[in-house]
Amino acid sequence: MITLKLLLQVAFRNLFKSWVNLIIGGVIFFATFLVVTGGALLDSIDSSMSRSIIGSIAGHLQVYSDKSKEELALFGAMGGETDIAALDSFAPIKAALEKHPNVQTVVPMGTSGALITSGNTVDLTLARLRALYRKNTAEGETAERRGQIDSLKQHVRQLAELLQSELATRRELIREDQVDPADAAALERARSEAFWADFDKDPLGSLEFLENQLAPQVADGDLLYIRYVGTDLASFQKTFDRMQIVDGEAVPPGKRGMLLSKFFYEEFLKLKSARRMDLIKEARDMNKKTIALDPLLQRYVKETSTQTREIVFQLDPIKTKQATARLQDILKSQETDLSRLLSSFLTVNDENFDLRYKQFYEQLVPLLDLYRIKLGDKLTITAFSRTGYVQSVSVPIYGTYQFSGLEKSPLAGAVNLMDLVSFRELYGYLTEEAKAEIAQLKQKSGAAEVKREDAEEALFGEESSPTLVAEATPGLINDDEQVSANTAALRSEDMLKRVYSQKELEDGMVLSAAIILKDPEELNATLAELARTQELKDLKLRVVSWQQAVGIIGQFVLMMKMVLWGVIVILFVVVLAIINNAVMMATLQRVREVGTMRAIGAQRSFILSMILLETVVLGLAFGGLGAGAGSALISWLGNVGIPAGTEELYFFFSGPRLLPTLGANNLITAFALVVGVSLFSTLYPAFLATRVSPVTAMQTDE
Amino acid sequence: MTPRNLLSAALAAVLLSAPPALALDAAGMTKLLQEIDDRQRNGGDYKSLLYLEQKEKDKADTVREALIYRRDADDKLMILFTKPKGEAGKGYLRLDKNLWSYDPNVGKWERRTERERIAGTDSRRADFDESRLAEEYVPTYEGEEGLGKFKVHKLALKARPGIDVAYPVIKLWVDKDTDNILKRQEFALSGRLMRTLYYPKWQKLFSESKGTDVWYPQEIRIYDEVEKANSTIVLIKSVDLRSLEANIFTKAWLESKSR
Repeated sequence: MITLKLLLQVAFRNLFKSWVNLIIGGVIFFATFLVVTGGALLDSIDSSMSRSIIGSIAGHLQVYSDKSKEELALFGAMGGETDIAALDSFAPIKAALEKHPNVQTVVPMGTSGALITSGNTVDLTLARLRALYRKNTAEGETAERRGQIDSLKQHVRQLAELLQSELATRRELIREDQVDPADAAALERARSEAFWADFDKDPLGSLEFLENQLAPQVADGDLLYIRYVGTDLASFQKTFDRMQIVDGEAVPPGKRGMLLSKFFYEEFLKLKSARRMDLIKEARDMNKKTIALDPLLQRYVKETSTQTREIVFQLDPIKTKQATARLQDILKSQETDLSRLLSSFLTVNDENFDLRYKQFYEQLVPLLDLYRIKLGDKLTITAFSRTGYVQSVSVPIYGTYQFSGLEKSPLAGAVNLMDLVSFRELYGYLTEEAKAEIAQLKQKSGAAEVKREDAEEALFGEESSPTLVAEATPGLINDDEQVSANTAALRSEDMLKRVYSQKELEDGMVLSAAIILKDPEELNATLAELARTQELKDLKLRVVSWQQAVGIIGQFVLMMKMVLWGVIVILFVVVLAIINNAVMMATLQRVREVGTMRAIGAQRSFILSMILLETVVLGLAFGGLGAGAGSALISWLGNVGIPAGTEELYFFFSGPRLLPTLGANNLITAFALVVGVSLFSTLYPAFLATRVSPVTAMQTDE
Repeated sequence: MTPRNLLSAALAAVLLSAPPALALDAAGMTKLLQEIDDRQRNGGDYKSLLYLEQKEKDKADTVREALIYRRDADDKLMILFTKPKGEAGKGYLRLDKNLWSYDPNVGKWERRTERERIAGTDSRRADFDESRLAEEYVPTYEGEEGLGKFKVHKLALKARPGIDVAYPVIKLWVDKDTDNILKRQEFALSGRLMRTLYYPKWQKLFSESKGTDVWYPQEIRIYDEVEKANSTIVLIKSVDLRSLEANIFTKAWLESKSR
């Protein structure tokens, strides 16, 4: 005990005595600081990310078919969706999983994607007009419908005029002969008084003329990829606490419908000028950027002020007049061309932006369709189904939603929610009856398979038919016999009105199921137990944790941890070498002191303990300082937060900023590492010190 | 070299470099293409019943039956799927330069391009439409070849500028005896082979409106050269040359078929 006290005294006395100790201390300080802050930051990212992924779509565990060729990736993988085999029915899976005491809820799921196409402005306007005429034929004309028809007709006329002025501009840029005379003639006709006067004599014929001759001259139709998760929407909303409805309402239980992700709705379906105005506002308000200095904002301003076509094309003559008057008023201008007015109105700068933004939303937006699909409209999705047949479904959009903490994440924002029935239809699932019909058609056709490799030999070789040409028997095809009574349109109307029972939802096909656990701490144990269950093996299910279920993103934190540990290992090898050298030097400086101690009776073990203890004290003191500085930094960051500068960071931080917290484990790890490494690197110099003989030490010069 | 030797050398050079007697010159090729087009065209209307089978990797085969309606004089075409039940009422309508696709399940018309895979198969609109080779392409002669037991002319065709076709370059193997296309390969602008088609059976049928025979391939086998596992079989089951309803090539008519 006395020896220890003595040793400690010596250690403290020597702490600041040598500059070598300061170097060692500095290195230890830096290493501890890094381990504490790096570890705490990564742990915080890990826990916030896991909370938002678990609470948004993944659940704690996911199960999917063991026959799948690829691994489940709920947020999609490079190059689209992964190949997951379908599970015939959700009900037995749910029953089997719910037997485990730690399983709280099981939610059915399936992710897929499709391209949605949209015609150009003229196409869309004409499609609305056609729908009104169709309704007139079916139900008779009403005054209200006549009003709508007339307004749309005016709009189409206006579009023809706009096209004409565009064509005039184009003629200045390209050679006259590159303008197709047929197009020009069609445009001329669509602008003529006579055409519109006679429109209602043959409305469908007139519409076809416009659809086939006028509409193809406009090229603003587009293509959009939409990702969706088919699920039991009611159960999903109850289970995943991160999901919040933003606009509109939830899809009523058992009904078909979709909730679009707010991010997707804003990013892809909103009027592009409005979206860019929003982005400028956000960058200015949130990130304190200025149009004058930020090139991205300058690009937005340029695009918004030059691409006014989408606004001009949307307005019918009355609204065009209103918009022109309002802009003239705002800009105090006499200009009559709406496009030019818009262009100068939307050329914003830092001084007028806030006012213009307000005016844009108050004066212009009420005249416009702000979104391509309004809540309550039906979205038509066409998908190449698993069966090879193309399936189209019109799904009503009830509202938009977001996962709190992931509002701005493009990855989470790409997920739109869809009812299971629509999902199954788009996925394509053949009933036994449909399979039998296909088999029968195939058999009746008598078509024999010819392999690509020997097609030429089989079709034209020696064995093939000697004659190529035959006289056909004149056939009379009875159309009505061929086209069986088809009530597809009626059926789809009916299906939208139908309310599906819980049993119908649960008895059908799914791709995966999310499991929420009662005690998340037991995640790994439950995973292992479920994987061992015979019932799940019989159902050919694969059980994975949320990290695995979300694909590469789930591995992100693990990857970052590996990088951090890689850096730490390299750093500590360097630290080891530095400490080792420094203690060596220090020991050599103290040969006389050590020799004297040995001469007056100090044992070798005393010398060894003395040097080791000195390092430990050094490690604890500077390590403590490093840990203290690290803790201070983390606690400061924990108060002010680290802003998520990019959209990717938003996802990993699960929100606009990360508020890191320090765990005891971060401190313990740091101390253990520092003291361990310091001791290890001092072992050899300390051993050398014990070898110093008093005689040699005495003979050494000062 | 003596003048005599020189003369015989020149003669030999002329003889050796002369094209084979049976090769086709530009006029001959155009005539051949016009004949191929003309044979398949009908003066009046055309209706056929066809069977379409698609094979794809890791998927069960999909089969369909469809009616094809053509009015060649107006360049109009309609494809109406009739079987299986899930496909009935879907269709395509070509009017002027537009190819419209219709799905009765959603009641929507969508404009598609020439490269549209008809109903997701390896077939294109042009496979079902009247043949317009002479009008759409410029031919060059690539020689005479054997295809199995048949002797064929091999022609390379390049799309004329400004004409929208699914593939800008095609190669044809045309039977020398009957002037029927036996094989066709289609290439993208980059020169990549996209599809190979075989026409092993041709049929002809007397048309009152045309006053002579109308020809059609009874069987077309299409092999996808990009997705090698994919292929399509088209069988024309029967052809009916009676005239069609006047208003058949309208959106309203196709819509009415699914109401």
